[in-house]
This record gives sequence, structure tokens and C-alpha cells, in this order.
Amino acid sequence: MFPLVSVTLFLPLLGAVLLVALPGISTRGAHAVGLVASGLTLLGAAGMWARGAGAGFTQVEEVSWIPSLGAAYRVGVDGISLPLVFLTVVLFFVSFVFSVKVTERARSYVALFLLLETASLGVFVALDAILFYVFFEVTLVAMYFIIADWGHEGRQRAALTFFLYTLLGSLPLLLAILGLYLGSDPRTFDMRAFIDSPPLTGLAAMLAFVAMFVTFAVKTPIFPVHTWLPAAHVEAPTAGSVILAGVMLKLGTYGLIRFALQMTPDAFRAAAPYVAAIAVFTALYGAFVALGQTDLKRLIAYTSVNHMGYVVLGVAVAAAATDAGVRALALDGAVLQMVSHGVVTGALFLLVGMLQDRTHTRDMGEMGGLLRIVPVLGWLFILAAFASLGLPGLAHFPAEFQIFLGTLQVYPIAVVAVLGIVVTAGLYLRAIQIAFLGKPSERWREMKDLSGREILSIVPLAALTVLIGVAPFLLLDVIHRATEAIGL
Amino acid sequence: MNTPGVLNGTLVESSSQMLQSIVLISPQIAVLLTAVGALVFEMLRLPKVSLPFTVIGLLVATFLATQLVGANATAFEGTYLVDDLSVWAVILLSPTTALTAVLARQEVRDTDREGTVYSLLCFATVGALVLAGAGDVMFLVLGVLLSSLATFALVAYPRDDRATEAAMKYFVFGSVTGAVMIFGLTYWFGVAGSTFLSAMERLGSAPLAAGFGFVAVLIGLGYKASFVPFHFWAPDAYDGGPVSVAAFLSIVPKVGAIFALVQVVRYLPADATAWPLVIAGLAALTMTYGNLAALVQDNVVRLLAYSSIAQSGYFLLGVVAIDQSGLAIRSLILFTAAYAAMNLGAFAIVLSVGRDLRSFTGFGRTNPAAGAAMVIFLISLVGIPPLAGFVGKFLLFGAAIDAGFTWLAVIAILNSVLSLGVYLRLIVPMYQRPKEPTTLSRTTTAVWTIALFFTLAVGVGAQVLLGSIG
Repeated sequence: MFPLVSVTLFLPLLGAVLLVALPGISTRGAHAVGLVASGLTLLGAAGMWARGAGAGFTQVEEVSWIPSLGAAYRVGVDGISLPLVFLTVVLFFVSFVFSVKVTERARSYVALFLLLETASLGVFVALDAILFYVFFEVTLVAMYFIIADWGHEGRQRAALTFFLYTLLGSLPLLLAILGLYLGSDPRTFDMRAFIDSPPLTGLAAMLAFVAMFVTFAVKTPIFPVHTWLPAAHVEAPTAGSVILAGVMLKLGTYGLIRFALQMTPDAFRAAAPYVAAIAVFTALYGAFVALGQTDLKRLIAYTSVNHMGYVVLGVAVAAAATDAGVRALALDGAVLQMVSHGVVTGALFLLVGMLQDRTHTRDMGEMGGLLRIVPVLGWLFILAAFASLGLPGLAHFPAEFQIFLGTLQVYPIAVVAVLGIVVTAGLYLRAIQIAFLGKPSERWREMKDLSGREILSIVPLAALTVLIGVAPFLLLDVIHRATEAIGL
Repeated sequence: MNTPGVLNGTLVESSSQMLQSIVLISPQIAVLLTAVGALVFEMLRLPKVSLPFTVIGLLVATFLATQLVGANATAFEGTYLVDDLSVWAVILLSPTTALTAVLARQEVRDTDREGTVYSLLCFATVGALVLAGAGDVMFLVLGVLLSSLATFALVAYPRDDRATEAAMKYFVFGSVTGAVMIFGLTYWFGVAGSTFLSAMERLGSAPLAAGFGFVAVLIGLGYKASFVPFHFWAPDAYDGGPVSVAAFLSIVPKVGAIFALVQVVRYLPADATAWPLVIAGLAALTMTYGNLAALVQDNVVRLLAYSSIAQSGYFLLGVVAIDQSGLAIRSLILFTAAYAAMNLGAFAIVLSVGRDLRSFTGFGRTNPAAGAAMVIFLISLVGIPPLAGFVGKFLLFGAAIDAGFTWLAVIAILNSVLSLGVYLRLIVPMYQRPKEPTTLSRTTTAVWTIALFFTLAVGVGAQVLLGSIG
């Protein structure tokens, strides 16, 4: 069978290699390579979607590497990873469309984004723990250079904080993988074997769980290890923020499900009340801190903390649930929330980037009345903001609804996290009021509305926001097939 | 009447044994003849011929050794071992020496006595190969002396103050540790009544003498392999001499000494000397100290010197496991292949770019291909898959865990992460704003290309290599 997953996975890398091999390529040429490579990747992912995902892992491709050590190249997808693959390719494609205006060292810029795309896809499709870890680390390197080279004012510091944080953060995962490897019999790095028969028990499993939780908590991020996020988001170039929020935060929660939940289920169950408590606190904390922001980018960054808190809550509920139906419900919600957050926050960061390109500020206090001057941008922002605050009919609602429904049956008290939705509603309405409503300022009278490039990059995300809101079953059917098969 | 016949018979027998021995050590003899030949061409005032002769001679030795793969024999009445370690030492170290000779040409071209450099490199290699197959304590002494004497001269070759000082330190250190080793070995001889390493099994009856001798051997070989705390000479010697000599010192004599240590501990009674624990402690100390010291270097050669000290700590993981794990020998050989490729590649690029960390600023931007290669060498040294360094380290970790030294494997993994910090100090400035473009000579480019090929091939094709080791 045609190795569709591997081809899709390495297409962006091929583009990056091509760019490295062509030092004299023009800016336009570099962007063309980026668009073609990510476009073909999008097609590949569509093909993967068409092939579908069943209960377990399908579309598995395997090449042995060091059989005597149980290490191999193994990729494949299930109902949890396939929607995230889809999210990744869409967000990268729109980022490339949006980035066409970048002229400063475009060749390196595009090459790094392509490298990042392969690495991100690799995390989602890897079925070998070593492979997973490598891709997990490569995302870090690529993102470091993107922030450090194309970011805003305080980029060097932000990039370094991000790098050190997540590098030290991923070390415990390595130890956990080693533990899983040593516990497996026969020894292997096959993630499917880890999932089918969790190799560790008792204290060892708890230690491995804590190690994995630390790693993924940094990436997600969860209070109190979230402090790298606001700086990295604010300083990153627009497309970098889109990928950081839309894709890279998902690496944390995906790992939480794939590793912590599936490979050390008993330990996770024992720790679930604590994880749920941290998640609720993170969600509320993110919402309240976002309320205090005037910098639009920082505001959206903190709402990400809030939304990712809900995802973690959903996973913790799934770990604690004794009833298979409730577990599947909470996990469905968590996975859908990852996709929704990627689409909606991606759109919000793009729109803020467009605003910043025009006003050269991110401070919403300096804006005002923009809806009249740039109606298309304004209405799209309002749509995305409403989606982000959880309005029914838009992407976040079905996801958060399922998470809370599951939570209610396992930890009724944790439903206080709903308070976060009220706060986010307040802060978005306030932001819309300050930046877009009221009397237009003279300063922005000449501002132009969205260009064709900008419309092309934002429309797919806006359309998906509505589509997921009105027809969540398109994704949930796929997700549910995997989540209902997870027997812990 | 029978006597002459018997005598004749033993003579025939011994001369055929002699012949067999010569066949078995033909690779080592080829390296020795290469050393002599390189010197002869120098004496004939034909330095231009000297280098090609060296390279061809070393490749012939490599070829001869490939014919012996899988052999398990002894030569010269059991004093020299022809086993996996000694055969693969030739296959891996001879080409490494050939490449360092090619690199050295850039630094010593048109100086007086250019050919002696190639000759000395070969003599030092013979020393390392003798060590790798030592089956008798006299071979240990011979190997250490042979490789030490040749490398003293190599470090001192530039004849400036720095080089002379470095060589002096290296020499003083070497003569003291060598003397200690010989002194300790006399105790072993006294107890065992034999110079055969295989006779050292008898040392169990005299734990004190066994332990004393072991410490002495550890000092002598530890100096060659630069284990902490016998490493003090290394950064100075690497930085004082030519960079190509540093590359050579960091690979060939080191591997020879480590393989010799394996040949020693194989027969050593573990209960009398507790050698696995001693070596495990030494490994942890060497890795950690090497990486920590490398972290604060501003001179790239010194940085790589400390990093190569740390790498010798990883080698020790394989030595620790030698009795208990079937992986140990294979892991040592594979890591040697990986280490030779990646370390040589890194040194080759440093040779052309410069010793100062600042001269690497922007190197990755002005020379994208060489910059990418340097990054690959460095992250292979960290041990990132699918590169050679990963497979090598991974097998070493596996061997240590097999042997029940899980704690040591965990320390080694933590050290790998620490070493990432070391190499990032070199990688990060490579992608900052460039100052001025660097041009690499064609020789350097050829050498790093070959090193890059093996860094990738040993990683991806690890199974092929493992299969041929057996």
C-alpha cells in the first residue's frame, strides 16, 4: 500500500531540504515552495482522512531499525491523532498564506516553518516512543529560531525562556520512556505495546506518570509552569503565534492522553483529583489574568491557558471515570476542544497580527471604532471572539459542553470552572467594545481593510469555526471511535 | 636417533605457527610498515609521496583486517589476541588515522620533516592497535609507550612555546603514570607468576595486590584514555598542538586504551577488586566532570577536549558490562565507529574555522552545508536519533542496564542532556549574524563529507554493522 502517512509526514521536510539546497532562491520562490509543500501536505492529510481511522491504530507503516533493541520507525493514526493531523496541516497552510509578505530572509523562514510542520505532524503520527521524543524536541528547536529571528522587541529573551523551559521540561519524559522500555517484555519502544499492556505498575508507574505530567504540563501549559507562554506568544511573529497556540500547545495535551492516560492509566486514576484541581485552577487563573490585559496578543495568550485548562480537566475526568460512556464523553470533549482551540485561537492570532501590521501596536486602548473603518476584519474578530467565549453554534461550544457534562458526573464541584466562561465572555465583550466599537479615532481613518492574501488565510479558519459549531459530529464520529475503545 | 626428528617436527610446527601468527596480525604489520615507509620517503626528501603512501598503507591494513572479521584466535603463543575488539580496532582506527593525516597536511604542509608527522601518526596507531589486542601485560606496557612517545612528538611538532609547554606536560604526566603502571604490574606478576592477562584469574587469592595492580593499570590506561582524574594533560595538549593532532589524540589512543582496559578486566576476578563498581564510579565522574568543564570553555578545541573526556565516560559503560552483557562488545565497537566519525568531523571543521568560539559566529549562515554538517556532528555527540551517536550510546546504556547498572545509565542520560548545553553554546552563535565568511579548504570539505556519511550511515544502518560484528 502507498505509504501515505510517511509521505505526508516528510513532504514539508522535503520542501525545507529543497530550500536549503537552493541558496539563491528569490523571496517569491521560497514562499512558493512553502505553499506548494504545505498544500501537498494538506492533500496528503485529506487522503489520510479519507482512509479513516478505526478503533485502534490504522494506516500503520513500519520499518525496522534496530530489531535487537526494539526500536523502529513506526507511524500510524487513530481517531485522536487524525483530527489533530488535520488541524496541523490546515493551520500551517494558512500560516504560509499569511506569511507571503515576509521578506526578511524568507528562505530560512519558510524552511524553518516546513521543518516545524514535519516535526509537529511527527509527534501526532509517531507510534514509537523514540520517534515521538525526537519530533517533540525538534519542534522546540524550530520554534526557538522562529521566535529568536523573526519576533518582536523582546524576542531573544522570550525565545531563550521558551527554549530552556521546554527543554528542561521534556527531560522527565525521556526518563519515563526509559522506564516504560525497561518495564516492557520483550523490550520495545512500540507505543502500541505500551498502550495494550501498560508495562509499569505501582510506584514505578506513579513516578513515570509524574514525569510525563511535568513534561506535558509545561507544554500545555498548566499553572504554575505557564510563565513562558505569554512572553513567547507576544514576541513571536504572527504565524509563529498561530502555530504555537494552534499546534504546539496540543502536543502537551495529546501527550497527556497518549502517554499519561494510556500508558499509566492506574497512576493517572489515582492522581486524577489533583490533576482536575490544577486544571480547574489553571482555567480560572487564565481567564482572570486575561481579564487584566490591555495587550490584545497577551489577552489571547492567557485565554489559551484557560481553554487548555478545560482540555486537561476533560482528560482528568476521563482518567477518573468508572463508566466507559462518561469517559468517552469527556475525552471526546477534550479532543474536540483541542481542534476547536487550534482553529479559533489561530484565527484570533491572525486577526491580531493583521491589526498590529496596521496600527503597529497591540494595545487595545489605542484602537477604537475600528469596526466602521475595517468592517471585514472587525466582524471576523467578533466571530472568532464569540467562538472563543463558547457561544453555541460555534466551535468551542460542543467541546466545552461535553467536557462539563462529563465533569458533572465525576467531579460535580469542578464545574466551578464554568465561571471561566463567564469571565472570558466579559473580557471579550470588553475588548470588542474598546477596540472596535465607539467613535472611530482620526488616527486610523486611512486604515485599509483586509487584502486578498489576508482573506485567503483567515476564511478557512472562520469557516471551520462555524462548521465545527454546527456539525461537530463530522469530527466527533472519528474521535468517538477511538475514545470508546479506550478501556482503562 | 629420534631426537633430530622431534626437534625438526617442533621447528616445522613452530614456524607454521609463526606464519599463522603473522597472517593474524598482518593488519598491524601493515600499519607498522606504513609508518616506516612514510619515514623513508621523508628521508628521501619526497614528502609529497609520504602522504599518499600513508593513506594507501592504512587502507590496505583496513582491508586485511576485514578478512579477519569473526576471528577468535591468539598470536605469538597467546600474548596477542585476535578477537572482535582488536580486529575492529584496525577497521575503525586505520581509516581514522588516514583521515587525520589528510587533515594534518593542511597544518604541516611545506614545513620541515612533514613526512615524519604521517609516520608518527602511524606509529601511534600501531601502539593503539597493540593495546586493543593485548593478551599479556608486556603488550600493555609496549602499547602505552609506543603510542605515548609518538604523540609527545606530534604535540610538540609546531615547536612554539605553547606546543612545547603542552608536550612537556603531556610527557611528564605520561612518564609518571606509565611508571606507576609498570610498578603495579610487577605485583600482578608476583602473584600470578605469569605475564599473561588470562593468568590474572589467579589474583583472587591476593586481593590487596590485585587491587593495587588494578589501580595502577587504571592510572596508566586512564591517562591514555583521559578518564577523570587522569585527564589534566588533555585540554592543554589538544590546544597546544596542531588541531589535526588533537583530533587524532581524541580518538585513536583513547580507543586503544579503552579496548585494552576491556582485555584486562575480562580476566580480573570481580570479587577481589570490585572492578565493575570502580569503573562505574569512574564513568560517572568522567562524564559529569567532562561535560561541566566543557560548559565553560570559550576555546572550541578545549571545549571538544573536555567533551571527548566526557565521551570516554560513556565508553566505560560498555567496559562495566563486559562480563554480564552480550551487548557490551558490540556496543563498544559501534560507539567507536560513531565516535570516530562524529568527533573527526567536528575537529575537521574547527581546524578550518578557528579555535575561538567567536570565529563560529554566523558560520552556519555563511556556509550552510558545512554548518549543517557541524550541527549534525554535535547533535550526534549529544546522542540524538537517528544519528550514529544515538545508536552507540543507546547500546552502551542497554549494556549497562543489562549488567544491572541502571543508575549509571540514568546518570549517562542526564549527562547527555547536560552535553546538549555544551554543544548549543557552539550551535547557537553559528546562526547569529555573520561577521565574515569563512572558506573551507577542499581537504576539510572532503574529510567532513566522509565523516558526515558515516555519522549518518552508522546511525541508520546500525543493524548492518551489528550483524557483521556477530
